[in-house]
Order: sequence, then structure tokens, then C-alpha cells
Amino acid sequence: MSVGIIMDAILRMLHGIGITFGLLGLSLAIGSIIAVLLLLMRISGRWWLSWPAQLYFYIFRGTPILVQIFIIYYGLPQFDWIRDSMFWSVLRDPFGCAIVALSLNVGAYVSEIFRGGVLSVDKGLLEAGAALGISTPQRFIYITAPLAIRISLPAYGNEIISLLKSTALASTITLADMTGIARTIVAETFAPYQIFISLALIYVTFTWIIQRTIRWTEGYLGRFTIR
Amino acid sequence: MKNWKVSVLGLVATALLGMNVAVAETLRVGMECTYAPFNYKTSEGELAGYDVDVAKGVSEIIGVDFEYVCQEWDGMIPALLANKFDLIIASMSITEKRMEQIDFSSPYRVSIGRLVGPVGKNWNLFDADDHPIAGNFKGLRVGVERASTYFEWFKANLPDVELALYDGNEPMYLDLKNGRVDMIMTNPMKAHLSFLSGDGKGKYEFVSPAINEPKYFGPGVGVGLRKGNDELRDKISAALRQLNREGKLEEYALKIFPFPIHDDAWAQE
Repeated sequence: MSVGIIMDAILRMLHGIGITFGLLGLSLAIGSIIAVLLLLMRISGRWWLSWPAQLYFYIFRGTPILVQIFIIYYGLPQFDWIRDSMFWSVLRDPFGCAIVALSLNVGAYVSEIFRGGVLSVDKGLLEAGAALGISTPQRFIYITAPLAIRISLPAYGNEIISLLKSTALASTITLADMTGIARTIVAETFAPYQIFISLALIYVTFTWIIQRTIRWTEGYLGRFTIR
Repeated sequence: MKNWKVSVLGLVATALLGMNVAVAETLRVGMECTYAPFNYKTSEGELAGYDVDVAKGVSEIIGVDFEYVCQEWDGMIPALLANKFDLIIASMSITEKRMEQIDFSSPYRVSIGRLVGPVGKNWNLFDADDHPIAGNFKGLRVGVERASTYFEWFKANLPDVELALYDGNEPMYLDLKNGRVDMIMTNPMKAHLSFLSGDGKGKYEFVSPAINEPKYFGPGVGVGLRKGNDELRDKISAALRQLNREGKLEEYALKIFPFPIHDDAWAQE
């Protein structure tokens, strides 16, 4: 197989960039919102909020993401009431199903990362805030959150990279993301080695870009802590 | 002196014969094992179907035992090339593109495609000469199997139609029933048996004529094998012609369909 065909294949695979990064961006955004809600439930100190959040966490961290995608894509439409509900406009679309699965999954992981950040904020700072008469919600927003975000960033960056790779699973439910297109090209050319190596190089490049961006952001947010 | 020569000859002959037996002991055959009624597992776990019957018939004629390997469709040719098995007997249509990679025996089944969709839609997708009307496919989502000849046909004839690509036949039917795709293109024999006369009876029907274009669908379905096995290929082709002449192919087909699915002309050559 010539270099020209590999270049053609890479160009075709890059057509899937929109879907791959659409999946990444949307599910990261929705997942982060879910993560903050779960975090607030867990640190609320009320058992009827904290227990459901923990159950959610166990379910989504305890099952493979591919199984979650299959349950949502193939499992849910078996129920007529789902197909008659307003959710069907999202679940009918494979892109919608992938977004739902990835968001729910990433929400569980990111929530734990945020919790680690929140718990590692020095108690003394909060006590100082309380002494100044700042209310609990304000202490959370102005003292805990900025510090927790900076502390969580490296682990959050890891999660973004692992989510980028999870988007490849969407190719199993007919989506033409970069992996989906690669599988189609392999099926046409019967050259799995060359095509998948090229695909791997594309993912490595994007991972590298994400990693650099996160590292730059870390440096930027931590610019006042450098001695 | 003579005795000595004879015994050496005898030894050589025994060695050669022994080798022949060793080489011809078993051949591994790749198939999907989920593609009813051509190759599938019965509820008892036994392999059955037209492909399996043909394989058994060939095995009997050429005197070689076959061992069956189940393999997903989109990895079928790579697996053959990677020596995971020696023959593909999996309803694989003979196409020029595939012939660049592998060899085929003479055909043992016709290859055609047909669209299946919900009843009463009146999409008017084909004109009187059975040519597709591209404009009427607008806004419709069509399911096909990745790497299938149906996929090639759509790419060439209706490049603007939105396709959903599946790795297997079952998920495609699931999505048709769930309404995620408006229609699917598939093998009409299979569709008739596994869907239109069962689960989808009265709700789904053929929404196109039978599309028979050898340019895309090939001259038919053949046995695939790695290049450079000309002797084995010719043996299998001869065996298939014999099955055709003896009426076995028709017999296998009538077990499942009310009509034969081979061409009598293939028996010549």
C-alpha cells in the first residue's frame, strides 16, 4: 500500500474530526455539570442527597462504558414508553445516545476529581472566611472553588484525554467519527495495519495538543503560587 | 540390488503419501455464524444454513474435513489473510475489489440486493426501469452493513443518501424496528425469511425491486481463499459444479426457499 493511499485515508479520517470533538466537547460540558451537582450532593452532609450520589458513582464507575452505550442505544428503545416520550428525539439519534452515555459516565469520574480538590482545600482558609462573616455558599464559591479547580486540573486533564479515546466507542453505534471512518476504510481496503496505525497517530497528536493546553492552563492558574 | 531400490522407492512413496494425508487433513472455514439462513447456529448450537450445506457437500467431494471458525463480517478478509482460517464460505459476493486481495472459487449462489422499509410509505424510490430516483431518497436514512456490496452500490449510485453503517445484520434490523433508520438494504432471501415472514410481517415490506447489478454485487457468491492456492481453488470449483449438476444446490436452497438461488449455467465451464 502506497503512501498516497495512507494520506488519502488520513484526510478521510479527519472528516470525522467534527463528530469526535463534538462528542468530546458536549459530553465534557454536560458531564462537568453533572459532576458539580453530584459533588454538591455528596458534600451536602445530608444522607438523602449523599447516598443517591454515591449509588450513581458506583453504577457508572463499576460498568464498562461500552456496556453503558449498548444499554442506552439498543436497550432503551425496547420500551414503548421511551419511544413515545420526549427523550426519543435525543435517543433516536446515535449522536444523542453517545452524548448521553459519555456525559453520564464522565460525570461520575469528574465528580470524584472535584471532590478530591474540594477536600484538599486548607480548613484554616474556610475558618478565616467564617471569622470574617462570609456565608457558607459564598465561602464555597469564592474560597473553595478557585483553589479546588486549580488542584483538580491535572486529574481533570487526564479525564479529558481518556474521554477523547472513549469517543472511539461511538463508532460501534453507527457514528462516523474518526474511528468509524477508519473502520470503513479498512473494510474497503483490507489494510487494517496501515490504516489503524495512521489513526493512532492522529489520536496521539490530538492528545498531545490537549496535554499541552492543560499544562499551559495549569501554569496560568498557578502563576501566583510560583516562588 | 533390485530389492534395495524397491524398498527405497517404497519408503519415498510412503513418505509422500503420508505428507499428502497430513496436508489434506482438515481445512478451517471462516463464516459469521449469525447470518441466517445461510450460516447460523441453531438453538442446539449446531451450525446450519445454505453455506454450511455447501461447505459439507464440498468437504465430502474433495475428501477433506472442515473445521468452522466464527468471525465478524468486517474482519473476514483480514482474518483469512492473517491465516486464522483457510477458506471463507460466508455468502461472500465475488467482487473485483476483493479479488485484488483474495481468490474466489466459481459461484454457488446469486447475489442481489433489495430495500426493506415500513409498509405504505409510497416513497416512489425507483422509476419504471428500476433505476433509483436520487431526489426521492432525500431526508431518508438507510442502514447497510459496513463493507458490504450494498454499501458500494449506494456510494456509486446514490452518493448523497445518508447511510448508517452496521457491523452486523441484527443491530440493523433492531434500528429499523426502532425507527432509527427509514429502510435497510439487504439480501432479499434473508430478509424474507428472518424478518418479513416473521417479526416484521404486515409492518414491513420490500420498498424496491430486486437490484441485480453484477458490477457491484458481482457474479455471485463464491468460496474465498488466499492467493496462490490454485490447486485447492480448482478442486473446490469442480466440487461446486458437481453439486450444481447433481441438483444438490437446488436441494439445499429448497430446504429454505420456495425457489432455487443458483444459476444452472455455472455447472458448465
